Amino acid sequence: MGRSDMTYPSTTLASTTAKDRPVISRRNRRDWLAGYLFVLPDALGLLVFVGLPMLLALGIGFFEVDGFGSYKFVAFKNYARMWHDPLFWSALRVTVLYAVMLVPALYVSGLGLALLVQRGGRFATVIRAMFFAPQMVSLVVVALVWQILLVEKVGAIGRLAAAIGWGPVSFLGDPNLALITLVAVSVWFMMGFYMLIFLGGLQDIPGEYYEAAKIDGAGPVTSFWYITLPLLRPTSFFVLLVSIVMAAAGGQVFDLIYVMTNGGPVNATAALIVYIYKQAFQLGAFGYASAMASLLVVMLMLVTLLLFALTRGGRFDHD
Amino acid sequence: MTDRQTSPAKSGLTRRRVLQGGAALAGGIAGLPFINRIARAQGAALKFWQFYAPGGDVKPQVKWFEDMVAGWNASHDVKVELEYVTNSEYMNGSKLSTAFASGEGPDIFIISPGDFLRYYNGGVLADLTPYIDDVAKADFPESVIANRMVDGKIYGVPMEVEPMAFYYSVKAFEEAGLNENDVPKTWDELLEVAKKLTTPNRYGVLFETTPGYYQNFTWYPFLWQGGGEFQGKDGKSAFDSPATVQALKLWQDAIKSGAAPRQVLSGGFDIVANLGAGYCAMQNVGVWGISAMDNNAKNMPYGIFKLPTPANGKYVTVGGGWAFVANAKGKNPEAAARFCAWALASKDQDSIQRVVDWCTVAKSDMPPRNSALAAGGAAFTNGKMGVFSKEVHPGTRAEPRVPPEVYKIISDAIQAAQLGGADPQQTATAASQQLDAFLASYSGAPIL
Amino acid sequence: MTSTHSAGSAHILRLLWMLISAVLALMTIFPLVWMLVIAFKPAPEVFAPNFLPVSPTLGNFLYVLTEVPFLRYLANSFFMSATVTIVALFFHSMAGYALARLHFPGRDFIFLAMFSTFLVSLPVIIVPLFILVKALGLINTYAGLIVPSIFNAFGIFLLRQYYLSLPRELEEAAIMDGAGRWRIYWSIVLPLSRPILAALAILFFLANWNAFLWPLTVASDTNLWVVQVAIVNFKSQYAGAWNYVMAASTIVALPMLVLFVIFQRQITESIKTSGLK
Repeated sequence: MGRSDMTYPSTTLASTTAKDRPVISRRNRRDWLAGYLFVLPDALGLLVFVGLPMLLALGIGFFEVDGFGSYKFVAFKNYARMWHDPLFWSALRVTVLYAVMLVPALYVSGLGLALLVQRGGRFATVIRAMFFAPQMVSLVVVALVWQILLVEKVGAIGRLAAAIGWGPVSFLGDPNLALITLVAVSVWFMMGFYMLIFLGGLQDIPGEYYEAAKIDGAGPVTSFWYITLPLLRPTSFFVLLVSIVMAAAGGQVFDLIYVMTNGGPVNATAALIVYIYKQAFQLGAFGYASAMASLLVVMLMLVTLLLFALTRGGRFDHD
Repeated sequence: MTDRQTSPAKSGLTRRRVLQGGAALAGGIAGLPFINRIARAQGAALKFWQFYAPGGDVKPQVKWFEDMVAGWNASHDVKVELEYVTNSEYMNGSKLSTAFASGEGPDIFIISPGDFLRYYNGGVLADLTPYIDDVAKADFPESVIANRMVDGKIYGVPMEVEPMAFYYSVKAFEEAGLNENDVPKTWDELLEVAKKLTTPNRYGVLFETTPGYYQNFTWYPFLWQGGGEFQGKDGKSAFDSPATVQALKLWQDAIKSGAAPRQVLSGGFDIVANLGAGYCAMQNVGVWGISAMDNNAKNMPYGIFKLPTPANGKYVTVGGGWAFVANAKGKNPEAAARFCAWALASKDQDSIQRVVDWCTVAKSDMPPRNSALAAGGAAFTNGKMGVFSKEVHPGTRAEPRVPPEVYKIISDAIQAAQLGGADPQQTATAASQQLDAFLASYSGAPIL
Repeated sequence: MTSTHSAGSAHILRLLWMLISAVLALMTIFPLVWMLVIAFKPAPEVFAPNFLPVSPTLGNFLYVLTEVPFLRYLANSFFMSATVTIVALFFHSMAGYALARLHFPGRDFIFLAMFSTFLVSLPVIIVPLFILVKALGLINTYAGLIVPSIFNAFGIFLLRQYYLSLPRELEEAAIMDGAGRWRIYWSIVLPLSRPILAALAILFFLANWNAFLWPLTVASDTNLWVVQVAIVNFKSQYAGAWNYVMAASTIVALPMLVLFVIFQRQITESIKTSGLK
């Protein structure tokens, strides 16, 4: 993919090599100042509203906090507690399981739908809109609707399950089904977004490639494997990065679990982010919760920095 | 378009705050309480947080709160202002915790016994005893006030007593060829009747399934009926007992037999959404179910029976209910405490009538004061309320107050047995070991 | 794009494709249709097996709208989401432009630091954040709802990517003319950013419209409630009345769905062409 810089303008990330630098050196100083001023509002905002709280959370992780203003320094006790807390490990397991199911499912459904609706035309436009529609409805509402659809015996899907002889089944009340049900609802909710991203990626693949393949006698399956998939690599990278981070710590995922199962039944859907929230707010263990949160952030940061390094500064167009 | 309210002014402000925050960091977390105090002084009125939001189908309840606050504001210098917190968020959410964790807790709020120790041990409950007259103090039965007291001092004034019972659908009974004489009196009968009432579209009996303080609350009587406790007289765990095992097993069996659902509609406390909607034929709910049915399922005939008992067990039910408390770290703890006492624990006729109104007009509850029971008269003894006051209520034991850690251990045990299908004996043993580990290091007010 | 051998089989394939797409799409919107259907059902029919209401009613909507000031909550949500979106896009495009195109010491470090905050989600930092916002005196204010929601590394990251891909020639010409960076940004870069700004505007607006945890935590005053908080509150008040709850849910979802239907083409096109990937 050496030529990709020229072929796909929209994914091209012009590198900042020496020859690109402004010729007139007097401009450098002015560019410095401009650069700092341009970055200032966001840098300051992120520092105050994300960075500082993050550092505070990191600090609180070393204290025993009662939730009413008393702080007792306990060094690494909260971290040691994690090691011995079966629910922490269970939460970690749920998080990993959720991500392992969700990320590929989103990838496949997003790409699949994109392939399905990539031709133009009025019909495809309508269909696209329908796939994207769940995204437009808030998660609070989504959870309510799914709850009544899924409830045993009287819910529409519950009835359907019973009609085909699989019932009564409790999708959200059975610890063996709850997590996978959540994954299904998550996919339903988010796939439209990934579909659009993949559509963008597909559109950037020049039609001549397919024409050439066709002349060579390649069928649609061959074209997909040897043209579409490799050329979608930058898009795939982006989709995977975003969906992994989202599955492990995303606010949307938290909202969804929180309103649909609140971590139950039997902690089967208590992902780490939900467990952290519960430790802090329902049990008042702010110190312990902060320690877990810090660990989660550090783990994700390592994953991201790794991806960052692999993609050379967030550049997805090179493999 | 643009930076209307943005750059210059804001960045100046934020920069200063950043420095402040940085200083707090540099001084370690010890700086936190300092930040906490900065914004304290604004807004003179005492904030009263509760979850009876304006609008909705509980208008008499909102009106009761509004009338009470108006009554206080008309005759006192320190004003009180109601603030509504979404019900589901109030009990299980982050709202109250976040406020208290940052020193911004409400001046007056309501808590259930399940929350008492968390707030008491956190040092935010003000002593209300100095503002409660001795006559009024004696007006609260021991069983109602005990779990709001520490060392003989009162830290919360109960608004209501809410014992648990079973409600059943008369129509469902008739369809199954049953009548009021068939209401179950033992656990075995309960499971048997529940099975008869189960149809492809309906469950026979419903217990709460959502993990939370409320689920624990509804489970306690089944533990007690067989003589079970979670803490023995020696202060150690008493959870590993046959009584615990049979109580866990009862809820498990109900689900295993297909007579009880794994998922409830809206919440197990909600009778209209479940029994009222025909989702189940019998439901384990408290006394508030009467007014809920009256308001939202008027045309549905239903009956009430007290909790069935196990073989060799004795009848007991649990009485929950919320209490007014004052924030000891609030703007004006004294005025807040006075308000609580004035509202519900004064010997004035107004105060007694307020309790009667709450328990009869606004809700359908048992009153926490003897004088209110007398003043309410027929309202407490007629009809469905009569069933409660005569049959259900006499066996009421107060809802236990436990620290959050104990709540969590018991909750996980209930969930594991009920929905996870875990062996009740092993579950009880494991939970008991966890309890012992925790109790050995617990140093707060007595668990009751 | 697909390879077919004869016109006849192409026709069949096309029909098959339409059928599959239609079935999948209908399945996707089924839950939303179900919501709509229940919203028009009278109470006794909510769990009845019939799909369409036997006696459809507008009563649920009327009841909900008269009982709860949903219009006010909708207005709050709209104001909050729109403000956050506009301010955030402005800041992020400035930062993204600088990080992509300007040279200054520490640039890569700043970008890395910003990028790393991408992983911090709200539930993790909500208590310290609340403390900070309180120290700023913003509890129970629109500013408290809005300001902390503005800053978001994701947007900066995407805009930087976009600016890296913009052709330099346009800028160079302006530089030769002696234009300052601000003028270049304002009159050349910003207009060129229209597609990605449009795409991000939609995503930002949606995300803020759907935000729940922060608005709940920061605003106790019911006058500041946004629809998502209002709907949860409504649900707990009317737990048993699914017909009301679904009517309320429909009212909350409707503005977004209508916007989407109207701007569907623009939304999908702008997301597709924005290089958002």
